Amino acid sequence: MSTKEVSSGIFEITERGGKQLATINLVPGASVYGEKLVEIEGCEYRIWNPKRSKLAAMMIKKFNIPIERDSKVLYLGAASGTTVSHVSDIVSEGIVYAVEFSPRTMRDLIGLCDVRPNIIPILADANRPQAYAHIVEEVDVIFQDVAQPNQSEIAAVNAKQFLKKDGHLLLSIKARSIDTVANPKNVFKEEVKKLEHEFDVGFEILDSRELMPFHEDHLGVMARVRK
Amino acid sequence: MKIITWFGILTLDDSGKVVEWDMLSKDTGALAERLVQPKETNMAIPPAGFDLRTAAIECGFVGSTGEYNTLLRDVSIRAAKKQISGGTPDMGIIQAVEALDDIDDAANSLSERLAEWYGMYFPEVGLSSEPLARFVAKYGSRSNVSPDDRLYEKATSSMGAELTGLDEELVRGFAENICTLYDSRSRIEEYLIKSMETTAPNLVNIAGALIGARLVSMAGGLEKLARFPSSTIQVIGANRALFKHLRARAPSPKHGIIFNHPQIKNSPWWQRGKIARALAAKISLAVRMDVYSGNGLNESLKTELDAKIESIKAAHPKPPKRESKGGSVKGKGRSQNKQQNNKSGGRR
Ligand SMILES: C[S@@+](CC[C@H](N)C(=O)[O-])C[C@H]1O[C@@H](n2cnc3c(N)ncnc32)[C@H](O)[C@@H]1O
Repeated sequence: MSTKEVSSGIFEITERGGKQLATINLVPGASVYGEKLVEIEGCEYRIWNPKRSKLAAMMIKKFNIPIERDSKVLYLGAASGTTVSHVSDIVSEGIVYAVEFSPRTMRDLIGLCDVRPNIIPILADANRPQAYAHIVEEVDVIFQDVAQPNQSEIAAVNAKQFLKKDGHLLLSIKARSIDTVANPKNVFKEEVKKLEHEFDVGFEILDSRELMPFHEDHLGVMARVRK
Repeated sequence: MKIITWFGILTLDDSGKVVEWDMLSKDTGALAERLVQPKETNMAIPPAGFDLRTAAIECGFVGSTGEYNTLLRDVSIRAAKKQISGGTPDMGIIQAVEALDDIDDAANSLSERLAEWYGMYFPEVGLSSEPLARFVAKYGSRSNVSPDDRLYEKATSSMGAELTGLDEELVRGFAENICTLYDSRSRIEEYLIKSMETTAPNLVNIAGALIGARLVSMAGGLEKLARFPSSTIQVIGANRALFKHLRARAPSPKHGIIFNHPQIKNSPWWQRGKIARALAAKISLAVRMDVYSGNGLNESLKTELDAKIESIKAAHPKPPKRESKGGSVKGKGRSQNKQQNNKSGGRR
């Protein structure tokens, strides 16, 4: 078994020819959602399945993930924390602000925050950044996975309030939440165009790729804000 | 400019520098309380790009960035726990639905009283319930009806008695109270619509906010509703109609409250059962999505439902043929049997 750091805090574990993504477990011994734990040279890794995480899928799709060890990340649509937990591993010296608006899901997320030192849970609607602007500081990265029809607007208002100059937005766009019948390819084209032109934060699209075969009809987008 | 932060109120000068601060005490419980419900709701939020962390350190609220993280984490965990423990939104929805029914009962009997009372003075008014209450609250005696009101003619030529003095004051006050009830009713309805949209967006998309709220209320909560099979959802609310039927000889209830859904109400009778079944099935899926998936609104349910309803309408454009009239008693019996068989067969 061998490991290779493919992006800051993200590892590729090669085992009998097969490759898997993983992050170093910030809380050794604890598996968050049933993911496999493997120990290599005294270091515990948590296997990261791209089918369960848009961010992991983006990694495999060769996005240049801009998250560093000390990054501050605003995570919109945290759900019960599957992906958040890996981001928390990656930013071992940083912080994750995890916004989720469903109280039921928040219950699980809080369980995760209880055992991890670097996640700030926020029960709020990502449409209204003013509801958490008294809590969240300026961040390096916004990751967003909310599956809402107005995904781009949500990204724009949050980037405007929280993203630092030249900070990065990572966005998962779900075609079906925007238009159930249209061809996803067209929906993606429209959304990217919209991101580029419609908002005054000035998104500069750095990369966009579909997340097939891990997530059907999802587009991963990475942008930088010029502000 | 004064801005609100999780650790205190800061005054900024024009360049955005902190010039004055009013720190809160470092008590996790109190900070969590404020995090959820800031008192200064009208105060500005920090301007984009404002460095909360540095401000907290410079104002002496915390000694280090490590302390900032730890304290903010403890406070926000505590706040989030508080937010999800304090009665779930569906409990508020249940109370609101029941309040609506109570208001309707009260408003109905008060309105009947008003109609009878005001009838002494203006029997030709031709209004009832809310419009009547609004009318009486506005004018009192019919001699005050303004010439541009469409009831002006009737008011001037009415055969009713004069309404004056204390009587007028009383009747008018009574009507005003009824109006307050109706106002309160529409506020509750607005609340229900908002609350349903955030709590159960998929249910709202399929059933509508008010019917959805009734389903939640009668099931005793969103999670309970999610556990009902769709055959039960189809008849939820029929019991209530049953009591009404027994009390007031209303038509016997075959149907639950989903029969108030416009797509059923506006369809011809022979399609209704089938549409109700399709609707109940989708409602059941929608509620489960709202409870278990947390993915927000999924438009595909609605698209599928609409397609299904279209196909039902296309397949049954005409009422089913009744068995030829004038048949023997035996024949009738057979046809009834057949119908029942069909029904139970279809439900399974
Ligand atoms: C697809 S899931 C996210 C999965 C998560 N990113 C992961 O990989 O573990 C979408 C989540 O976004 C949340 N969500 C949707 N709209 C939201 C909004 N306006 N504000 C905050 N959260 C929202 C949903 O409740 C749901 O939990």
